Amino acid sequence: MCAAASERQPNTRLVGTSMPTLEAAEKARGRVEYMGDLMVPDMAHAKIVRSPLPHARLVSIDASQARALRGVVCVLTRDEVLADPDVEPIYGFVYRDAPIVALDKVRHQGDIIAVVVAESEAIAEEAVELVDVEYDELPAVMDTAAALANGAPQVHETFHPIAPELRPEEGTNICHHSILARGDIEEGFRQADFVYEDTYTAPPVQHCALDLHACIASVEGGKITVWTNCQSPFPLQRELERMFKMPARVIVPHVGGGFGSKSRDRMEVVITAAAKLARRPVRFVLSQEETFQTFIRPAYRGTVKTGVKKDGTVTARQVTFYVDVGAYAISGARSANNTLKVATGPYRVPNALVECYAIYTNKPPSSPYRGLPTTQHTMAYETQFDRIARDLGIDRVEIRLKNMVEDGDIHITGDYLRSTHAKEVLQQVADGLNWGIPAEPDPSGAKLRGKGVGATIKYTLTPPRLMSENEAEIALGEDGIFEVRIGTVNIGQGSDTTMAQIAGDALSVGLESIRMVHSDTGRVPVDSSTTASRSTFHMGNAVVNAADKLRADVIDAASHMLERDAGALTFSSSGVIVADDPGTGVGYDEIVEQAGAGFSAIGDCVVGGTFSAPDGNEYPIASTFWTFAAAGAEVEVDTQTGEVTLVRASASANVGTAVNPQSILNQLEGGISMEMGPTLFEQMVWDEGGQLLNAALVDYPLPTMETMPDYRPAMVEHPYPGGPFGAKGMGEIGSVIVPGAVLNAVYDATGILFHEVPLLPHLVLEALDAKAAGA
Amino acid sequence: MQVSLTVNGQTTWIDVPPERTLLQLLRDDLGLKGTKDYCHSGVCGACTVLADGAAVSACSLLAAQVNGKSITTVEGLEGPDGLHPIQQAFIDNFGLQCGYCTPGMMLLAKSLLEENPAPSREEIIRYMGGNICRCTGYAGILRSVQAAADTLSKG
Repeated sequence: MCAAASERQPNTRLVGTSMPTLEAAEKARGRVEYMGDLMVPDMAHAKIVRSPLPHARLVSIDASQARALRGVVCVLTRDEVLADPDVEPIYGFVYRDAPIVALDKVRHQGDIIAVVVAESEAIAEEAVELVDVEYDELPAVMDTAAALANGAPQVHETFHPIAPELRPEEGTNICHHSILARGDIEEGFRQADFVYEDTYTAPPVQHCALDLHACIASVEGGKITVWTNCQSPFPLQRELERMFKMPARVIVPHVGGGFGSKSRDRMEVVITAAAKLARRPVRFVLSQEETFQTFIRPAYRGTVKTGVKKDGTVTARQVTFYVDVGAYAISGARSANNTLKVATGPYRVPNALVECYAIYTNKPPSSPYRGLPTTQHTMAYETQFDRIARDLGIDRVEIRLKNMVEDGDIHITGDYLRSTHAKEVLQQVADGLNWGIPAEPDPSGAKLRGKGVGATIKYTLTPPRLMSENEAEIALGEDGIFEVRIGTVNIGQGSDTTMAQIAGDALSVGLESIRMVHSDTGRVPVDSSTTASRSTFHMGNAVVNAADKLRADVIDAASHMLERDAGALTFSSSGVIVADDPGTGVGYDEIVEQAGAGFSAIGDCVVGGTFSAPDGNEYPIASTFWTFAAAGAEVEVDTQTGEVTLVRASASANVGTAVNPQSILNQLEGGISMEMGPTLFEQMVWDEGGQLLNAALVDYPLPTMETMPDYRPAMVEHPYPGGPFGAKGMGEIGSVIVPGAVLNAVYDATGILFHEVPLLPHLVLEALDAKAAGA
Repeated sequence: MQVSLTVNGQTTWIDVPPERTLLQLLRDDLGLKGTKDYCHSGVCGACTVLADGAAVSACSLLAAQVNGKSITTVEGLEGPDGLHPIQQAFIDNFGLQCGYCTPGMMLLAKSLLEENPAPSREEIIRYMGGNICRCTGYAGILRSVQAAADTLSKG
């Protein structure tokens, strides 16, 4: 585990102070540059020729007319890719299955066939229309059931997983199948008085980060430079270097949201190939409509089977889930596999069996989406819990508290759980809802009102084996400023501010002495990604570690200058001082001047391995930390229209130490807002021929200020052993808990347990009618 | 064709092709990149600017349609005495996270507060309901607009 920085008390107390982000004023001035604002000299523009069909063999591509158009620089097709011996044509650092451009067939509507590079976007757009493609259409599999059917057409004929935990099944569309088991599932069901089984589904949705995916690639002098708004600059750098066999640098500006969609984008390798052919920098912006064909939150289908005693004690839980990773499993298979760890919820499940299937289909490639599919697992086991509670006549909060994990419990992964506080979190949410007092009935009777809760457990991205991929560098220059160099992408979550707060406290200096440098592989040390709520914990620890190392070097230099023992010296906001004689000291700038050179240190955070528990045993670490969270919802169901309104939404999480408390509450609000869309009205819809029907925002409603519930965000703080000053991550958790709580509130209001989202008015009306007819 | 417009107080004559949108004119011709783009269909509100004080989607107007008008973009909010109270309110009330929708949100808020200096919560929600934010969940934006209204009403 990482250094026990949590045991140290900060001096300057930046950690724990709510503050607007360091860049808030520049953002309010409209001066922060996003990817779409960047230009480089002599740049050309790319547009993409895309497949109109979901599945087809490529017979021929004729780009001669496009190449002949005035202003066209070049057209990249499979011929150019395959003709270049220095280009590896297949991309994917988790699953290597996505070609730069289609080589033999297209696998989804919008699949990339060619890239046109021209002097302007308008010319490139015109030339795209001139590329003539001949297809031999193949039958498509548009959902997991079709993909698993006997004799289903295969989306991929061969499998190339990179991450060691991925296990495809040859000859099928199953690109990954895995099982996590604990105890004896059969015995667990035998011990049960009742067994419940429910199947839940959720369709694909879109992230809709407003900052459009864009990049500029340049291949010059045997070097690649890519500017992009991605969430994983270092894995991308390595992938570029492998594919193009030359050094690469990836530079990430401020990013306007990603929510997972920018974590495994492949546009950068496509545009790099185009830039290499064009021998000029090439800029590409993915349009809003194109994002709908490029990465989507995958469809989910999951079955939960739970055995319970009469008193509500869970004896066994079996979860089988299918994630539709679409045409390319770039990272979707691994995301699905990671959630094996949390599919049984924040509960004591002595006998568990969890089975994950990641399935190729002819939908667009899937992408992580703020905690997915933990969100869908939570929806499944939490709504089933309400059904059980209702049947057994046990209070819905009570049944959860009865089964909820506590410190010292062994999770289904074998992890020894600590600093859980899951019950406190749930209790806080229940109190916020005035639990025990039923929702006040609508006087007119036209609306049904109800309350519901849901609780969850979320992992963070933790490698299956010991590795160090999280480094931070802190440098002290002649201006006396500490420059903190980190790979974390400042995507809107305020990571520069969080890290500056942690660095300031670790160094005992104020924010005025800190300068942040982020997300440029040429200027900062390695970091695996800004995903999975991992940065505060992992990068925060690396920053503390770097600060410790730097402090030792700087104090050593100051000890010579002050002619005092290093042990007598300490850091302060103005410089190194004598601890018991604060008037004596030397400024940081003077130390650098005397030393004749700046100081710098790299710190890291090694994750994985095992944990030595107080019971003397070693336990595996399947997640460096677990986040426990709960949500409460109050809804109103209009019996005339079927419309469900989320009136009030509370949420709470155990965040460890809150580094920037207000920013945590805002993350919870934002998470609730984002997920209420897919819960109540968002979904992507395809027709039977595999054509997407609602790719434009005009046809795809998003949450607005008008759909905003009355938020009641809250948190519980218990410094987490091993976290930087006790902090852990929470960026996704506000979303994860929403659908379960909302479905339970609707269940409370109507007596109808829905097994799918979104809760579209016509579904609700049909269910209300059916219930009335049944009664 | 030539259009003349006043952008953030400065009058400009510029030659543009007839299909040039106001958004392109602002971002590409005048280099005012604070105005953002996303949906290009007048839905998301990221490109909201003021034309003679009224909030409009710059992506959905041709440059020719604003000929002779006075345009305010985010770059025109800050005055000689510093940040506009709306900008300060968005910073102080955590009305922004990634910042991408912020210029459009602030200009929409300016238009609202000029029409209605003391809007109720419901009036703010109805007026601001057209602009999309994916990060904040809107509560911080609502608080920011309320705070800005308070500051502005105190003069």
